[in-house]
Amino acid sequence: MRLARRLAHWLRLSEVDVDLVDELAFHREMIERDLVARGMSPVDARDAARRTMGNETIMREESRGVWIWPSLEAAWQDARHAALGLRRTPTFTAGVALTLALGIGANTAMFSLVDRLLLRPPAHMIDPAMVHRVYLYKTVEGRERSTGGQYARYADIARWSTTFSSSAAFGLRKLGVGIGQDTRLENVALVSAGFFGFFDAPAALGRYFTPREDSPPEPARVVVLSHGAWQRRFGGRADVLGTRIQIDALQYTVIGVAPDDFVGLWPFNPPMAFIPVTTYASAHAGADWPTNYGHAIGIGMIVRRKSGVTIAAAAADLGAALGRSFQAEHDADPRSGLPTQLRPRAVAAPVLADRGPEPSSISRSATWLSGVTLIVLLIACANVLNLIVARAIARRRETAVRVALGVSRRRLFGQLFTEGLVLAIIGGVLGMLVAIWGSGVLTTAFLPGRVRPSLITDWRTLSVAVSMVLAVAVLAGLAPLIQIRRADLTGDLKASARDGGHPRSRLRTGLLLLQSGLSVVLLVGACLFVQSLRNVRHVRLGFDADSVVEVDLNMRGVKLDSAAAVALRLRLLDAAKGVPGVVHATLQESTPFDGETSWPLFVSGIDSVRTLGEFDFNTVSADYFATMGTRIVRGRGIASTDVEHGRLVAVVGQLMANALWPAKDPIGQCVRVAADTLPCRYVVGVAEDIHSQSIDPEPARFFYYLPAAQWHPQEGGLFVRGRDATRLLEPLRSRLQREMPGTAFITVRRLGDIVGAALRPWIVGATVFSAFGALALVLAAIGLYSVVAYDVTQRKHDLGVRLALGASRSSLVGLVVAQGVRVSLAGVAIGCAIAAGAGRWLGPMLFEQRASDPRVFAVVIGVVLVVATVASAVPAWQAARLDPKSVLQAD
Amino acid sequence: MATKGPAELLPGTLDLLVLRTLVRGRMHGYGIAQRVKELSNDVLAVGESSLYPALQRLLLDGYVAAEWGTSENNRRARYYVLTAAGRRQFAAERDEFERIVTAIQAVLQFA
Repeated sequence: MRLARRLAHWLRLSEVDVDLVDELAFHREMIERDLVARGMSPVDARDAARRTMGNETIMREESRGVWIWPSLEAAWQDARHAALGLRRTPTFTAGVALTLALGIGANTAMFSLVDRLLLRPPAHMIDPAMVHRVYLYKTVEGRERSTGGQYARYADIARWSTTFSSSAAFGLRKLGVGIGQDTRLENVALVSAGFFGFFDAPAALGRYFTPREDSPPEPARVVVLSHGAWQRRFGGRADVLGTRIQIDALQYTVIGVAPDDFVGLWPFNPPMAFIPVTTYASAHAGADWPTNYGHAIGIGMIVRRKSGVTIAAAAADLGAALGRSFQAEHDADPRSGLPTQLRPRAVAAPVLADRGPEPSSISRSATWLSGVTLIVLLIACANVLNLIVARAIARRRETAVRVALGVSRRRLFGQLFTEGLVLAIIGGVLGMLVAIWGSGVLTTAFLPGRVRPSLITDWRTLSVAVSMVLAVAVLAGLAPLIQIRRADLTGDLKASARDGGHPRSRLRTGLLLLQSGLSVVLLVGACLFVQSLRNVRHVRLGFDADSVVEVDLNMRGVKLDSAAAVALRLRLLDAAKGVPGVVHATLQESTPFDGETSWPLFVSGIDSVRTLGEFDFNTVSADYFATMGTRIVRGRGIASTDVEHGRLVAVVGQLMANALWPAKDPIGQCVRVAADTLPCRYVVGVAEDIHSQSIDPEPARFFYYLPAAQWHPQEGGLFVRGRDATRLLEPLRSRLQREMPGTAFITVRRLGDIVGAALRPWIVGATVFSAFGALALVLAAIGLYSVVAYDVTQRKHDLGVRLALGASRSSLVGLVVAQGVRVSLAGVAIGCAIAAGAGRWLGPMLFEQRASDPRVFAVVIGVVLVVATVASAVPAWQAARLDPKSVLQAD
Repeated sequence: MATKGPAELLPGTLDLLVLRTLVRGRMHGYGIAQRVKELSNDVLAVGESSLYPALQRLLLDGYVAAEWGTSENNRRARYYVLTAAGRRQFAAERDEFERIVTAIQAVLQFA
């Protein structure tokens, strides 16, 4: 009933309001009439009646308030009021909204990335909290290292562990899919049949493979396509079932299609197909593959705990199963260690790899970068608070007038809060745009070349953004309350600019300190990362990565005899040289930053060469040094005359020459590779050193070169130098593919891309830190400007008096600027202290750059102070242009 | 005129007094205030600032209804009338009030 009456009341709201006004007026007139009847003069009676009635506004509001639920009507009014107010002060509104947009946007984008990496369980997974990724460890020579990856090991642990309701093997490989010119490397998932049971994702077409199909000794050659591959390669046709496709070395029959968004455990590298792990394993080893512990295929394992089993118990169970597996291996081959020696240990880690014991470098940098974006949000909030408090102070008189007119404080609070909310919402909406753009930038930086799931169009990210907006709204709404609480009605009503210097509020000064301090921290970070990126780029790798294409041969089980393999490589080398745009080409066997080739090395006169460091080598043909742009320092490079049965030769790096033959001429020295009984290989040249594994200095890593013809000429691929490596890729691939026998195929990569991956941490750090550092500086400048400008307005009268008394305009500018700069100086000091403290933590991420580099601090301090000076000089200059007469006459 | 000013209303009694004034028939807000004053020999005063919100509350609860009419001096005025629910509520509130007053008196007399 009450509800019905309330609704009826609401339906005729405006009428009700008029009624109330009318009713109260009637009441007042009646009092008036009575008083006149008692002999009071009409004028006195009217005044007396008004006094008796008191504050009609409050009365009306309270009467209306009876009907209102949670002040819906007031909220609507407040929103309109807020919108009007904000439109009246566009600069303020734009400043706050932009600040918030940048803060919220950056954080939303960052959250979406961190969420994918660290928080969100794999899509469609049933009860992910009970699912674990298994990590296995053993101790060898006193050091614990990770182990596992063999099918035999997986099978043992699946068989002998008892605390799990299900387990599955998984792996992701880049495998050649298709035949001939259509062959491409694609992500293919190797999974055991139980894998699909971890998910609630019924096949879109056909079925998944069964445990029977995924069992030794003869696993089935069946494949489940991803939805995307089904659409792309087969046009979504239903008759795809039964089709055969070549994957890696085998032909597989399509038996099913996974549902649209099923990506298994790999949201960033969605597999195009799922094949039985056993089929893959059987194709890559001898007949004993199900029990061969030496045959690692790099598969992992996920398990689902039975209910009631703790994680610790699960890990202990896995460890025991691993021990039993070690025992089984020892029983079959006594050369392998006993469980007591190997000390098996297992970890049941969260199913997200980045939450486990071996996180990727991506997630590590994402984690600390979220810290950086949080600082930006903090600065943005400080800025917004500052602007809002400034506005509240400026509106003190307006507020006091409204309180005097009978607006209840609750209502006033409601209005201010609504204003904060409206601002936060505008900022939030703009922030979404920033986030969309920002997440694009972030995914390019963090996950280049991968499928990019649209990062922010999901409810998780949205709800985080919305809660940020609400938090900011509360903050923005509550800030002016500090002012209201202190409001002293009569004082504020009488207040005018003439009061001159309001003591600057401590809150605002504190916020300013926070802002400039934090921006110093971010700027120091930015400078350090930019500097270290510059150092990274200046590192001479010892070869020109950008001009070189790596050609790799994937034989897919095609067996050639050794003569045919040599002939194939020479044919490919010739073919490559014939491709337009190719300058040089060479055979090679190992690619910098992508694995190494190493054999024991023996040098007469040195007992144990091994203790000096790692000796890696490459086997190359005549044009190698020209192709790579590696300089020959002494002697000669590998030549076409270095043939199989000619004099055995080698070219060594400078560091290696110095380490092995200090104070001797390396040319003509003898090295033996692989065994000290093999014939001498004579050094014929010294090449400049190369970075073969990382950008970091490689002090104990040496490199040398052997002629391919004198080592394993039937193995390895090519390096090809072109005028434009990027445009060379496809013509080169298609030309070389023509030479490939059977299902074997060619892949090409820019060497620059391979090396670039190693540079990424520095590029990401430099880019993100610079962007956020600049952002922080802009925000701090806005903050300082607004505070100084506001102070100037407040002190107009005081400044006018000074001018009138003969103060020069330049001294006035000096006065105002000094005040602004003083606050910044304090902030800079705080920021430097924080940055210096954080340096210890930042240091390991920098490249040949000390975190406490005084030059960096000097530059940052300089920049911040210049910005602070400019930000306070603008309002100061305006102050100096005051006309003392008009200022003093005002009010 | 009494030298003492009007007494403060006991909390919760305003609704009861308003309902009481309406038992004899419809009345506008000003009339209600006057009537309370008269009936209590100027001891009780109903402040305008609490009267109107109280009337709105009674409207919302459905104890009174409102209608527009013409006043003694020919002006448009809003009249309140007791509803059936209002009568029941008045009876209940009055009984409760009397019970409490009796109890309080008993305590006071005992001393």
